[in-house]
Amino acid sequence: MSYSIKNITYQYSESGPRVLDDVSLTIEEGTVTAVVGPSGSGKTTLVQILSGVIPNLTAGGVLSGEMHLDRDGEPVLISVVSQNPENQLFGYGVEDAIAFGLENMGIPDEEISDSIEYVLDLLNLQHLRKRSVQALSGGQRQAVCIASVLAMKPQILIMDEPVSSLDPNGKMMIRNVLNQMKADNTTVLIADNNLDWSCDIVDRVVGLNEGKVLFEGTRDEFFRSFELQRTLGVMIPQEVEIYRALTEKDIPVSMFYQYRDAVDQLDGLFTDHPGSVKNSEIPVMKEPVVTTHQLNKVFKDGFQGLRDINVSIPEGSVTAILGQNGSGKTTLVKHLNGLLKPTTGDVRFRGQSIEGKSVAQVSRSVILVFQHPEHMLFEQTVLNELTFCARMQGLPYTDEDVMKILETYGLEDEKETFPLNLSMGKKHLLTILSVLLSHAEVVILDEPTLGMDLKIRSELEDIVKKLKDAGKTVIIISHEIPLVFRMVDYALILNNSVKLFEGTKEELSLRDDIFDSIDINLPPVVRLSRRYGFDHISYTVSDFAEQAAAVLDRQTREGGDA
Amino acid sequence: MDYLQYVDGNTFLHRLDPRTKFFFLVAMSLLTSVIKSAVALLFLLVFFLILWSTCGIMSEMVQLLKKLKVLLLFIFLLWLIMGIFEEPPVELLAPFFKGQVGPVVICFDWYDFYKGFVYALRIYLMIASFYTVLITTNFSEIILGLCKWHIPYSIAFAVGLVFQIIPIVIGELNAIMEAQSSRGLEIEQCNWATKVKNYIIFSFPLFFRVIGKAQAISLAMYYYKLDFSRKRSSYKTIKASKRDLVFTLLTFAVIACTIVLRIYFYVPV
Repeated sequence: MSYSIKNITYQYSESGPRVLDDVSLTIEEGTVTAVVGPSGSGKTTLVQILSGVIPNLTAGGVLSGEMHLDRDGEPVLISVVSQNPENQLFGYGVEDAIAFGLENMGIPDEEISDSIEYVLDLLNLQHLRKRSVQALSGGQRQAVCIASVLAMKPQILIMDEPVSSLDPNGKMMIRNVLNQMKADNTTVLIADNNLDWSCDIVDRVVGLNEGKVLFEGTRDEFFRSFELQRTLGVMIPQEVEIYRALTEKDIPVSMFYQYRDAVDQLDGLFTDHPGSVKNSEIPVMKEPVVTTHQLNKVFKDGFQGLRDINVSIPEGSVTAILGQNGSGKTTLVKHLNGLLKPTTGDVRFRGQSIEGKSVAQVSRSVILVFQHPEHMLFEQTVLNELTFCARMQGLPYTDEDVMKILETYGLEDEKETFPLNLSMGKKHLLTILSVLLSHAEVVILDEPTLGMDLKIRSELEDIVKKLKDAGKTVIIISHEIPLVFRMVDYALILNNSVKLFEGTKEELSLRDDIFDSIDINLPPVVRLSRRYGFDHISYTVSDFAEQAAAVLDRQTREGGDA
Repeated sequence: MDYLQYVDGNTFLHRLDPRTKFFFLVAMSLLTSVIKSAVALLFLLVFFLILWSTCGIMSEMVQLLKKLKVLLLFIFLLWLIMGIFEEPPVELLAPFFKGQVGPVVICFDWYDFYKGFVYALRIYLMIASFYTVLITTNFSEIILGLCKWHIPYSIAFAVGLVFQIIPIVIGELNAIMEAQSSRGLEIEQCNWATKVKNYIIFSFPLFFRVIGKAQAISLAMYYYKLDFSRKRSSYKTIKASKRDLVFTLLTFAVIACTIVLRIYFYVPV
């Protein structure tokens, strides 16, 4: 049994471009299908067409093609889980939220009760049933959201970027939920360009680009096509990147998706498994530029957000702040720029306390770029938005400076565009670019990769490098561990409002105990380069592949000599 | 930001049938709009203080008082100034100042303070009774309670949704203010005119955020097959208990005492 759409074409208006152009695809019953593609490829439009939002809620568009989304002539029920569960959950308690859709369908009370029990058991959520939705973590909310739509017994469940705002624990929870659904033979379609978290669950992949289907096939076929992955800008697990890089160096490995599988194969290739690298030199950092001293924060409701935090951020470094959601990361950075006042202790910039200064005054030294660009963008044009910080701080800038930035990051054609009309990734990029013209010596980026595709991510890495080269200090909060290890020099780890670690990336790479305690994994390249005793720890896939090739070459030569 | 948000709990007030709390709200709103006796209003305040402390919402009510302080001060001063142009109906204490300034007779005395106090206290109690019910009744209960009063589901749902959305909008406004000040916009050390101008600036991104939220909510309503023209079932039901009877009787007793105090201790204001 399968569902399909054939030759679907859609324009938002008669004269508008084709957002979807002759799209045909098949959804096999009981499988998990991933729809991937860069920003603007048509993923969201496809979700809206499959779910019936187009044309039922959206007027003025032109839709053509055939939809075979029925069973025995009856249309199937298709439910959607969006990326922000807080916008989707109706009802105060978990039970209220799950019952909402069933009540709307007029299902009798006893059946509602049975359905609630069924989904709570299926997704292992019984412990949450009496909780209020508000009190749940991001991952739990998303799981309840999935439960609430599953309770309606849809034939197809669509998940639109379901983990984009979740921390590693939240992602893990949704993976487990998805595994349960797969075992239950639920038909799932995931619209997400990030396959990092779901690649071992997905059965089939559909690749969209500029509204056209570029690929439709099995997961393994997709992951074997390196060029396709690059064209679509799909985010893949670092394990798959390693496989790709090793294959490109003609190292004989077969496809692996998980660390364990990588170890199984690479153990056979590398004869030595010493567990530590040969050169573990720790670089010396510069003097601190921002420090905190016995920083404590107790909120009005009595929750202690920070406990005795002492940190020294080295000047000119790129520093990561890591930890699960609720560990105190955002609370800490909001103290660094004066948005939050400490209960006790203080924050100093170049040895001077920031106490008594307004946030705007502190922003001349320490500037914070927020996680959600919609909170920051309010000018009429991209050009004005870019110069906002400079104007607020009364700093001079030339048209050439502005145009150079726009050209470098591909925004020159959009300089007169209304910023909120940009794609999510570009909006985020714009808020980050606006600090380039500011005076601040310390730039804090809170979850900067949110909504960014691979291309914009590489531009972000370029911006951070440029800021560092200009002598600025960059602090990044991120859950993307491989990206963090690629970019940073220094790291802080927070857990339950307490600092667990502060030191260089090289020191952190040796601390499995710290990562175990916060339930986050070190990047595969770090773990594997240590396992096979490479010359130094690898932080990038290309470096890992280089070192792997060198070690294998040495092994071959030594074997030949022997 | 938890202003206007339901405070989770399992106290006496939390466990009441929402209809009992709606009745309490209506009764207290009527009472505070007709009673102008300081003694009777102080009695009501004491009753509220006991209620708040037993139900663990005292800190929220203090927070409310802080939020309302400017409004209450304004009301107090307004009535105090208006009282200066009147003579007290009862001569209790000698006036601080009494005389004629041009054609106007001015009498500045205890009565002006009394009048300001009574009006400010009435307003606070009126808002506090609404707030007491709001923060101890979650929006699912609000919808259930209204439906039990035979209010159409579409209206009950809209009312519940408003109370679900208000805290989100306040949270969004806060986040926007924080984000803009982090980029260098001065919102702390500036005069009132600049503050007003800044709020106009913030309303722009807030408007788009609210529109975005509204779109997301309407999509979700579609996904959950919400159709007001169709009969829907109800998983949870509410039922009045002995607890509701006790509270209703207590409400009547408080109303009676307030009226008696009003009769015996009334200075016309």
